[in-house]
Amino acid sequence: MPGVARTIADLGPHVAARYPYTSRFTTVNGRRMHYVDEGPPDAPPVLLLHGNPTWGYLWRDTIPPLLQAGFRVIVPDQIGLGLSEHPHVAAAHSIEQHAANLVALVDRLDLRGLVVACHDWGGPTGLGMVLTRAERVAAVAIMSTWAWRSPSAEFHRRISPWRVMHAPLVGPYVLGRHGGMPGRGIYLSVVDRERYQADGLAAYEAVVPDADDRRLTWLWPRAIPIGEPTDTTSEYFAWLEEGVRPLRLPATLIWGEQDDVFAIDPFLDTWRRWWPHAEGPHLVTGRHFLQEDSGAEIGTILAAFAGQVRS
Amino acid sequence: MSAAGVRIATARPAGHRAVPLLVEPALDHYPEYARFLAVAFGLDADPFGPAGLLEVDGRPYELTFLGRSGRPFPCGVELAALVPGLEPLDEATADADLWAILEWLTTGVGAPWSVEALRTTGRIYRVPMTPEA
Repeated sequence: MPGVARTIADLGPHVAARYPYTSRFTTVNGRRMHYVDEGPPDAPPVLLLHGNPTWGYLWRDTIPPLLQAGFRVIVPDQIGLGLSEHPHVAAAHSIEQHAANLVALVDRLDLRGLVVACHDWGGPTGLGMVLTRAERVAAVAIMSTWAWRSPSAEFHRRISPWRVMHAPLVGPYVLGRHGGMPGRGIYLSVVDRERYQADGLAAYEAVVPDADDRRLTWLWPRAIPIGEPTDTTSEYFAWLEEGVRPLRLPATLIWGEQDDVFAIDPFLDTWRRWWPHAEGPHLVTGRHFLQEDSGAEIGTILAAFAGQVRS
Repeated sequence: MSAAGVRIATARPAGHRAVPLLVEPALDHYPEYARFLAVAFGLDADPFGPAGLLEVDGRPYELTFLGRSGRPFPCGVELAALVPGLEPLDEATADADLWAILEWLTTGVGAPWSVEALRTTGRIYRVPMTPEA
């Protein structure tokens, strides 16, 4: 039985070869956050934000084109996932806490002129940071994410598999004890499943080896508003909607053509309505975890976009 | 294993220890689950009484209900196997029993939740205890 992984190197040569970066740590709101920070310290920074149940490794193929284009690339692991601390206290996983953790990170690293790329829960958390530290942000890239209460996805309103999967006691069993999210959850939401099994799966499972480590993988699905009176995050998403919709920061939209979790209609279409100034959309091969299929292409798109923002 | 072998028990077996298996901190996310458990274990009449007890084909399990300031009771539940003395937990049996308890819970909560939806979800996520379609 391998020991508990604390750094990228601890995850062995398979991961280190694909994610060959130095593990760095800071604390945010009293919790240990792991991140990588590559490229010249004085280069314009790009912040890559993952969601559930991934970690910085999701961006492994996206980082090299950004570094080659001369950017500084910062990739945190959200608290509760990856090599960051995995709090067992549910209150540590409120959406407000996760957004505040990113505010603390950009303050701690004193990041300015940021291009922020948001995927999945990297959207509601990262955009909360953008609203709170607007003076630090130059542009935003949006991928398979959202920032509103409605429209919700037909997929997320379905009893099976989505709502059952994280229902009371079922979530801790299916996604906690049996690790359903990094295994089947990602596998079902990539195009090239063979490649995912060869390159991705082990790295996602290794950082949440035990049932208690996987707490956020079943708490985060519960926080997606589905138009029910019991939605727990309506207040946060109301605040987010109000701030994000009128934002006119330079923006780009990148989406997986085969995305059936945050489907093009209504999600990408809503972004296009909200942000008519945004460039794109860039449609790439991919389902929800589009970086698994088109990571390098996304890196090239981001590098070109960030370059335009600089000029 | 199905819900058929699950029943509410009344007496905690002597000399058993609780082995924590599942912790649910947010029963009130779908409050119909909290309501079913409140009715099944009489929590409205006696919220501070002894823990709830279940048996799965005679094997005992304990449900400890959790309260939290400002939230309806019960807001959470801890589910533990009751194992005699210092004997090790039979992990495979406990895992199968948990699935039976989830089917019992789902049946009790009722529509729109269903055992069929639970089993479909279990098959999608390759939960080993899920019965074949």
